[in-house]
Amino acid sequence: MKPPVFDYVSPATLEEAIQALSAPDDGDVKVLAGGQSLVPLLNLRLSQPGLIVDINGLDELTGITEEAGYLTVGALVRQREAELSDVVRTACPLLHEAIPLIGHTAIRNRGTVGGSIAHADPAAELPTVAACLDAELVARGPGGERTIPAADFFTGFFTTALAEDEILTAVRVRSVGPATGAAYEEVARRHGDFAMAGVAAQVRLDGDTVAEARIAISGVDLAPVRATKAEAALAGRTVDDSILDEAADAAVADLSPSSDLHGSAAYRKHVAGVLIRKAVAAAAARAREAR
Amino acid sequence: MKTREITVTVNGRKRTVTVEVRRTLADFLREDLGLTATHLGCEHGVCGACTVVVDGHTERSCTQLAVQADGREITTVEGLAGPDGELHPVQQALRDNHSFQCGFCTPGFVMSIYGMCEEKKAGRSVPCSRAAIREELSGNICRCTGYQSIVDGAEAALAGAGSDTGKDA
Amino acid sequence: MAGGSAISGLVGARVHRKEDRTILTGTGRYIDDVQERGMLHCHFLRSTVAHGRITSIDVSAAREVEGVVRVFTGADMSAITEDLSFAQPIPGLNSPSYPAIARDVVRFVGEPVALVVAESRYIAEDAAALIEIEYDLLEPVMSTAAGLAEGATQLFDDVPGNVVHTDEQLFGDIEAAFAQADHVVTQSLDQHRWACNPMETRGGVATYETGSGQLTYEASTQTTHTLRFLLAGWIRHPIHQFRVTANNIGGGFGLKFSAYREDVAVCAAAKAIGGTVKWVEDRNEHLVAAGAAREEQLTLEAAVKADGTLLGLRVTMKLDAGAYPINPPATVYAGLVRTTLPGPYKLPAYQFRHHIVATNKASYISLRGPWAVETLVRERLMDKIAHTCGISPVEVRNRNLITLDDQPTKMITNVTLENVTAAETFQKLVEMVDLDAVRREQEAARAEGRLLGFGVGTFIEPAPGTQEFWAAVGFPFGSEPCRIRIEIDGKVTAFTPQTPHGQSHETTLSQLIADELGVGFDDIRIVYGDTDATPFSMLGTGGSRAATMASGAVVYGSRELRKRLLEIASHILEASVDDLDIADGVVSVKGAPGASVPIAQIAMGCWLAPEQMPPGTNTEMEFVANYDGEGGGFSQASHACWIEVDQQTGKIEIKRFLVVEDCGKMINPAVVEGQVIGGIAMGVGGMLLEHSAYADDGQYLAATFMDYLMPSAPELPEIEIEHLEFESDKVVGSRGVGEGGTVLAPAALLNAIDDALAQVGRERVTETPVTPTRMLELLGVIEKE
Repeated sequence: MKPPVFDYVSPATLEEAIQALSAPDDGDVKVLAGGQSLVPLLNLRLSQPGLIVDINGLDELTGITEEAGYLTVGALVRQREAELSDVVRTACPLLHEAIPLIGHTAIRNRGTVGGSIAHADPAAELPTVAACLDAELVARGPGGERTIPAADFFTGFFTTALAEDEILTAVRVRSVGPATGAAYEEVARRHGDFAMAGVAAQVRLDGDTVAEARIAISGVDLAPVRATKAEAALAGRTVDDSILDEAADAAVADLSPSSDLHGSAAYRKHVAGVLIRKAVAAAAARAREAR
Repeated sequence: MKTREITVTVNGRKRTVTVEVRRTLADFLREDLGLTATHLGCEHGVCGACTVVVDGHTERSCTQLAVQADGREITTVEGLAGPDGELHPVQQALRDNHSFQCGFCTPGFVMSIYGMCEEKKAGRSVPCSRAAIREELSGNICRCTGYQSIVDGAEAALAGAGSDTGKDA
Repeated sequence: MAGGSAISGLVGARVHRKEDRTILTGTGRYIDDVQERGMLHCHFLRSTVAHGRITSIDVSAAREVEGVVRVFTGADMSAITEDLSFAQPIPGLNSPSYPAIARDVVRFVGEPVALVVAESRYIAEDAAALIEIEYDLLEPVMSTAAGLAEGATQLFDDVPGNVVHTDEQLFGDIEAAFAQADHVVTQSLDQHRWACNPMETRGGVATYETGSGQLTYEASTQTTHTLRFLLAGWIRHPIHQFRVTANNIGGGFGLKFSAYREDVAVCAAAKAIGGTVKWVEDRNEHLVAAGAAREEQLTLEAAVKADGTLLGLRVTMKLDAGAYPINPPATVYAGLVRTTLPGPYKLPAYQFRHHIVATNKASYISLRGPWAVETLVRERLMDKIAHTCGISPVEVRNRNLITLDDQPTKMITNVTLENVTAAETFQKLVEMVDLDAVRREQEAARAEGRLLGFGVGTFIEPAPGTQEFWAAVGFPFGSEPCRIRIEIDGKVTAFTPQTPHGQSHETTLSQLIADELGVGFDDIRIVYGDTDATPFSMLGTGGSRAATMASGAVVYGSRELRKRLLEIASHILEASVDDLDIADGVVSVKGAPGASVPIAQIAMGCWLAPEQMPPGTNTEMEFVANYDGEGGGFSQASHACWIEVDQQTGKIEIKRFLVVEDCGKMINPAVVEGQVIGGIAMGVGGMLLEHSAYADDGQYLAATFMDYLMPSAPELPEIEIEHLEFESDKVVGSRGVGEGGTVLAPAALLNAIDDALAQVGRERVTETPVTPTRMLELLGVIEKE
């Protein structure tokens, strides 16, 4: 379990990094950020890139800012930094709830927010958060910067809308207003494992009724799934057991997860419903507190 | 480029070494610097045996490349005990509580617990209940102990003093 | 720790471990820490198919990679080694021999097909990737049922019908027992494969000195002498020129008891190349190829009286042996299960049948209490009998357990039980648990929609077992030697064939010597892991033998040397031996301070000028003691487990776990507790998380720690332990305690799960592991796939 031979560059600027990605090469090019997914794949030789572009030196990709109603998290922000950030906690409680569920402290100390999203593991927390919140994923390529809505970003199993010469530079989400609560619920075999299923939920209340519900599910498809039917079922209603059941049933009816060693398809489907009830109930309760 | 010269400070000592770019930090520490205390239990970031402290944070040394450590400061378990061999308080607390058996996972746990203690010292709130310690140590796998004795040791280390249940011979 | 000071009464105290300073500072020497000048590294290319005939292998590109020193194919390796054979004169045992590297046919995913030796592991892996190999695929046999089926593909020519061994043994009048039965209670269990997974994988460093012809193999092994003895023949090396050593070992759990084909290949490669070759198995290889355990299917039929009294038991076991035999032969596992299964219960009649079946999987290996399934099925059967007869799990055990008053008595499997306190540990457990309160709590929880389960179990652990026990199993019960030397300065070195890998023998054996000889704990060194230095034993560290056997050897050895010291001192001090005592390394006359002579002075005289020592005294300051075990014996324990089942997610939380154990006299309670808790953790992991799973096509599904789920700290409960210390009249009253946690915890846990299922009217567990998916299937929440 030792990495294969590759070329390696560690550009000092984003421009150089994009240039490196664009340069013709005889093999695959991989962007190395926190490396918590890529380096294990290299060690297992499941990934054998010809060139690695290490973006850890790009200060342009760091920093957490809140401005004009938007929270922007640099792609290279370590997950642990975001986890402990007061700005994140207040502007995006869902992200704050989700991050501690990623791996373990030593993983989050190194792993980056952008890296997890660009890796697009359908069982991972951050892609699910991005899908749930309609995050804007800021990418830079040779042609300049573009913003990709999360709905268009996750295109399949570990695949995204990023072009080969594009780098994810930041994640932008709308800061939460009052009467908004969020929760991330998941079931994993062990603490810190990728979840068999997970649910990100954010609820905004208007009085006692749901003004807006956002729900995304992990682990049940090739990419995070936005539970739009459940969101619609909740809109304008008061959250109680029967509406939670209705929302959960609406969401899972369309799911056709696959089975693996850790959980059967039936299990994932069932548990997705359970987690929707839990996550929406918790998010609604927090929204009530935040009124 | 297949090799690169890097300068790393390991346990307070500055080292400049040319490494293959594909070399993991763990292999660099173990093979090139001869610091074999950092163990490799899985080489895919799960078991935590290779945990070291980089620029003040616990990180896996098997899931980063040595070239990425250029300019950084690393502490391994070799860097904890005093020059006269006196155990670091974390090591002492673990010894007092008979925390380990075969010792293979031990350096990773020592560094993880050291990392928790350093965070606490730095004024960051570190939950110290046994359940919280178990959660915090969930990234380190031990096959021998069932963790209870390690939690005892970590609890004592975090309390800042070893609650010594042993008897010196 | 005060250097050299002796505190009497170290035995029984929570003495700090000698091993800890080394492991906490990272200064140990595990296999991958070995770095020799000019050392080469190697990597095995492994089969990607479960069953196939190698039609071509092309290593030419690999040989051309810069830094590659040698590439061995199966043919290359076979030219310099013998095939591995574990055959023994056991009637009916079909034990095929096999090459270190596959020559013709591969029989599991992960079987070595080539070995690359290179200047670094990185290069060896680069080169291995360039080896081209083609297979003619053969039908894989992926279960015992498939292996035994009519017309099944045969793995080996010399294993007809894929049956490695089959046997039936009868004890007592089984027909009469069933004829008298009020109830016949049946039970079946299909246990999955799971594995040892020591944190340090397998590995070794072989060094061949071309001048002297000396070969040294530094290995991660539980038994240096057996490894040397087996390897010498296979690599055609004269045994007197072959030394096997072991330093720090990062866990074994039974896996490192055998010699493996990789050991053969690495030693042969070093010899062929003429230098030092290191092999460290990576975790991926380990999970795929090192072997796994516990894959057994059992069916039981119990004849019982209406009051729950056991009359007879019929058991059939199918054991999935994987492809290749290892040490010990699979008949030993069947023998262990058969002999131990009646446990601490009165059983008048017993029939045991087994079929050991070859399949296209990695080898079935020893795992901490390799017989454990006997306790798992028996303790679950007891609960089912209780349920059938309308009595409590406590009552059914009380009616059938053998108490101290019943002993000595014989198990139906012809093993004498003496000083066995399983019933007493169970009694104590019951006293500590308010069963009525448990039931009330369960009812209250159910009213809130929560589901709690409670389970108990009890067992005996053959640690070390008895002569009769091992004769019934079909495995030798050797005596245990130890060489003890009083050095020229009065300090003590003890040489043990034990190969400890976490069991704290350096500490416990030093405690015993310190107490027996009156020397300082820090003035004792325990030497292990060197066939040049330690006395011979086939067994090394395994089977939880050390607490009795290694302890006995050091106690008897120390006593002999003490006797010699006292005789010499009695001349020097002109006092009767009876009036002398040794403390702090000094022999003195009781009640006469000043009349004393240091051990160091006696030892120096004995070593340097024995002719000047008192005539007629024995001046040999070194002695090899052999301890026969004084008949041996058992340790025992009872467990209670409280769980809560999340009926929505199927997750099982262990709320409380209580152990009452009796391993006789504890040498160091901290060490005992470490073994008990660690053992339970392994048993819990095995039942709930870990699975060495294969797909139907023979591909291995748990090849990383992302898929093979080792329990981590949050998955495990705080374990409470109550010790009983039965005092026998034996000189050494300590019994082993290494395996019991892993043996009994699964039974208590599954009984608790069954108890929870019964409360909601659901059927018992019949297949493991009990994953969240399986739990929801059992609860009827989701459909089974």
